[in-house]
Amino acid sequence: MTLRPKPFQPIKMLQIIGGVFFAYLFFGFMLLPCLNTLTSIFTVRNAAGEIDPLAVIRFFLAGSMSQYVWNSLKLALCLVITVNVVGISIVLLTEYFDIKGAKILRLGYMTTLIYSGVALVTGYMFLYASDGIITTQLKDAFPNINVNWFTGFNAVLFTMTFACTSNHALFLRNAIRGIDYNTVEAARNMGAKPFKVLWKVVFPTLLPTLFSLTVMTFITGLCAMSAPTLLGYDSINPEIVRLAGSSVADEAFPQARAALLSIILACFTILLLTVLSSYERKGHYLSVSKTKAKLQKQKITNPVANVLAHIYAYVLFIIYMTPVVMIVVFSFQTFSAVRMRKLDLSQWTLVNYFGKQDYSYLTSRGTYKVREGSISGVFSNEATLGGIQTSFVMSVVAAALACVIVVVACNYIFKHKKTGTILEYALLFPWLLPTILICYSYRTFFNSGDVWYVFGQNLYYADRVRILIIIAYTVVKLPFSLRMIKAAFYAIDEELEDAARNLGAGPVRTFLKVKLPIILPSVLAVFALNFNALFTEYDMSATFASTYGTTYAMVIQSMCREEGLYGYNVNASGRRCASTVFIMLVSGLILYLVYGVGARDLGERLEARDRRRKRIDRVKAVFRKKQPAEAASPQ
Amino acid sequence: MIRLNNIVVKFGDFTALHDINVHVKEGEFFTFLGPSGCGKTTTLRTITGFIEPAEGQVFVRDRDITHVPIEERNIGIVFQSYALFPTMTVYDNIAFGLRVKKMKKAEVDEKVRAIAKKVDLSDEQLKKAVSQLSGGQQQRVAIARALVTEPAIICLDEPLSNLDAKLRVQLRMELKKMQKDFGITSIYVTHDQEEALTLSDRIAVFNKGVIEQIGTPNEIYNHSATEFVCNFIGDINRLSDDIVEKLNAKGAQLDPTHHHYIRLERVHVNDAQHAESGAVSLSGTVESREYYGLYIKYYINVGSQTLKVIERNDGVHLHDTGDAVTVTVHPDDLMSYAPNGEEAGK
Repeated sequence: MTLRPKPFQPIKMLQIIGGVFFAYLFFGFMLLPCLNTLTSIFTVRNAAGEIDPLAVIRFFLAGSMSQYVWNSLKLALCLVITVNVVGISIVLLTEYFDIKGAKILRLGYMTTLIYSGVALVTGYMFLYASDGIITTQLKDAFPNINVNWFTGFNAVLFTMTFACTSNHALFLRNAIRGIDYNTVEAARNMGAKPFKVLWKVVFPTLLPTLFSLTVMTFITGLCAMSAPTLLGYDSINPEIVRLAGSSVADEAFPQARAALLSIILACFTILLLTVLSSYERKGHYLSVSKTKAKLQKQKITNPVANVLAHIYAYVLFIIYMTPVVMIVVFSFQTFSAVRMRKLDLSQWTLVNYFGKQDYSYLTSRGTYKVREGSISGVFSNEATLGGIQTSFVMSVVAAALACVIVVVACNYIFKHKKTGTILEYALLFPWLLPTILICYSYRTFFNSGDVWYVFGQNLYYADRVRILIIIAYTVVKLPFSLRMIKAAFYAIDEELEDAARNLGAGPVRTFLKVKLPIILPSVLAVFALNFNALFTEYDMSATFASTYGTTYAMVIQSMCREEGLYGYNVNASGRRCASTVFIMLVSGLILYLVYGVGARDLGERLEARDRRRKRIDRVKAVFRKKQPAEAASPQ
Repeated sequence: MIRLNNIVVKFGDFTALHDINVHVKEGEFFTFLGPSGCGKTTTLRTITGFIEPAEGQVFVRDRDITHVPIEERNIGIVFQSYALFPTMTVYDNIAFGLRVKKMKKAEVDEKVRAIAKKVDLSDEQLKKAVSQLSGGQQQRVAIARALVTEPAIICLDEPLSNLDAKLRVQLRMELKKMQKDFGITSIYVTHDQEEALTLSDRIAVFNKGVIEQIGTPNEIYNHSATEFVCNFIGDINRLSDDIVEKLNAKGAQLDPTHHHYIRLERVHVNDAQHAESGAVSLSGTVESREYYGLYIKYYINVGSQTLKVIERNDGVHLHDTGDAVTVTVHPDDLMSYAPNGEEAGK
């Protein structure tokens, strides 16, 4: 193929615009803000007003700051063990062993897919906190019990152990279902006992997945935010947020310390991901079988072991389900019932959703005052509605932006091998950085009028912060979107593009009519999953901590802190329950759309349509038969 | 009709096609045959425009289309994978090319239904998704989609390789019939020599980016131009020096430095009729046999080598393993090549 001068084409123009855009995105919103954070560590001024590059490091080594790092590491290490134990258990119990009621159990174990983060933690607090349902019950039974047991490290570990098994429930389940059952049968045939089969044949095939899950769990533990914040545990992230909001007047160089902590977090993340990717590059076990046999559930033959396994399975089920059931039940209970944590089966109400009841309270002067409409529900409380609205708009915009950017990028990446790789790595870059570092960097970097490439506008100022949050949301979601959508692009047969060109279609038409419809289900799925995660996200908006960017999760979190008498937070607990139910509904619906409806291909959709038509025809036929009969009857 | 003049294609440092020259006549069924990686698909993709040659020209009806964009060439193609659009129905797949041309709806409908009828697709099938069709039906959709825009040429890139053996033979015949009915110039790419021999008017045999021979199936099979071609097409025996000597003793005048080959069906067993003048008779024993039903393949040890022989299964003249037999080889049936692989006088 020779190089010959070609006439200037519009496609070239598009490529140049695209290149400029991606460079702007990468340098402006990934690299520069984070570099600024890094350098801020070394440009600290000491008491004498001189620049002292090592001041923060000295402070770190001398004082209590390293405690936060140790705490985070301790949490991460413990989580790796507990989450793997519980995660592997729930998958084996529902997919590998023959446990009665596995379908119901699976639903219970998967509840963490529809509520997580702040919603989940407040749910656990609703049960176990000092005024929680279960703690209150326990106190009635054993008056000497320490009602504050559910705080600090233990509480965080307990909550996150069950909250972080979602990935196990998804990926380990897929891995175990991908096992060729013939290999299990072959091992049994050669005389291996069931547990030997599990250990020697099944487990090795799961190891790559388990390794990835372990690394992801470790990172989740390091970067934990909502649980430590709400349950009171001094780990890195809550401290970064606290320092970011602190001022030089209160303590020594809080911003630089926050920067140092987030850089430490980034170093850990980069190290772990490097280990993970080098492990993944070594190649994986691949099933060599072309005719896979479906896995059949293994009966536990030892009766004692079988009973114990069943007990274990149902205890886990109760732990997973209790918060969900209690939250749903209490969301329909009256204000006083929720407040006293006492179920009142005689009274059910929608007040927590739509209520606008008054509340009278005793003032300090000894008189009663009425606050009109203060016992309000999720959909009538101004602050909550505002939070939902803000979160909804920002999440939709960011989720869509991330998808559009990634689709355009993938289209380029698949056509241009060399420059495409550069683009790919640029878009994966945010994956290396903890979200908290990105948000913290945005908050400090754009909180000035000196950033020329955003036209000298202070993006952290007033309601512009929403733009900043949307950009942060988008950037943070780019790596995930890229990995998922790129996989979808792999599914496009290259010959399809050739075929379309051969039939006379230009590149744009080929993209819109042939390629886009193929990847659209995946893109919509990524959009939905992005939205799902962003709609209830807490870590990032808490880092921005701006009143203009008060998200839904922040509102829920504030409901948890005070059951105020005077403020808008009257009926906070009831609203919190209703909020969580609302989140479960939204997430559940999205997951159904993505995995239930969205996964069908054209053939399946046409078949479903045919079935629908036949049903309608049958109904019509019944009516047609009736009509002549009715017409005939008067005579 | 189609003329490739001195085509050279390079992928980076690697030269995929060296100086390719082909002339396909109007209405001809022309096959590019060769092992995988020989450049046959590359040549096809150069004709359709997916690949731009480094040197040389592509002419269609004396018009130079070397640098004409893919979408303006009006050359239909049926891909190996069929490349049917999975998100569209069968109807929409066939109509795609017509809609690109901004044809009126009624006209599109008329043409789609007409071509569907010709390739035997029912109205019911037109409404289906391509994933709901069988392999053979999908192939017909691919052909209909390629033909509906009335291209000057149709290119078929191993269109039968995705099918099972029985369907492959059946569709091969249908394909040939369709090509005859439509009378369209066809270029067919395959690595299956049987497919090439049964379907083609002419064949170009490719090897390592060059064309070894262009000719009719009979020329390719019985008068292979190079040692590669004679080895690639069908099964063959290379005669040992010992047998060549014996033939020369009978006055055959074969060059002992050359390589001499004989096809399996040209070697005869216990056949007095063929043992006439010039032929050499060798005594041997049956080492083993493979029973195919229609014919039987014998491995006969004649001392200096084991010759493979095909005998029609007439039910009378069967030989068992260990039987002593007489094998006849006639010098007229040999194909001889100089050590450089070129065809040589015998």
